[in-house]
Amino acid sequence: MKIIVNIDVMMAKRKISAGDLAERIGITPANLSILKNGKAKAIRFSTLMSLCHELQCQPGDILEFRED
Amino acid sequence: MEWTKDKSTGLSIICVYIFALLLLAADISAPFLLEWSNRLIPSDPSHGVYALITLYSASIFAWICLYLLWRLLHNLKGGMVFTTENIRLLRGISWCCATVAAVFLVSMLYFLPYFVVAAAALFMMLIVRIVKNIFQQAAEMKSDLDLTI
Repeated sequence: MKIIVNIDVMMAKRKISAGDLAERIGITPANLSILKNGKAKAIRFSTLMSLCHELQCQPGDILEFRED
Repeated sequence: MEWTKDKSTGLSIICVYIFALLLLAADISAPFLLEWSNRLIPSDPSHGVYALITLYSASIFAWICLYLLWRLLHNLKGGMVFTTENIRLLRGISWCCATVAAVFLVSMLYFLPYFVVAAAALFMMLIVRIVKNIFQQAAEMKSDLDLTI
């Protein structure tokens, strides 16, 4: 079982580039890439809040729990 | 003068150099010191040869240990603290201490007071092992923190 990060999908829906999003939520493009590729071990509430605010979505739209 | 962590690491590196010089002096003077001590307290001549074997065997691991310490301190100076390389270096230092202890334990067969050196080396190994365990946990925590976005 794992948590899938669907930022790519939301970014495509909102037509926003990775560089723009990283700048708006105040993280580095490298860290956004770690998040997008599912390599992150944890996400701060503050980062999640900024993501939801910028992408106009709910945490559930970004994070998905999947059974193996 | 303000005492900073860089100065403290620098002092540790100087101490490593001082110990290297002392070890070099011990390596060079060991045969003469043994000859001199033999003249003061006459003993079995074969013991002198055994003592040299013991000292030079331990010396090899002491040099390795000093080199590993030197590398570890340079990593710390460069800001690389909780890394897998440092854990590997600490493990190496711990094994060097264990090997020195083993050398002196075997040497107790001809000179019982070497027990003190063996016990000291074993205790040092224990301390280094515990520091290594702490570094291992800290490296895992750092990895978690680095991958927290």
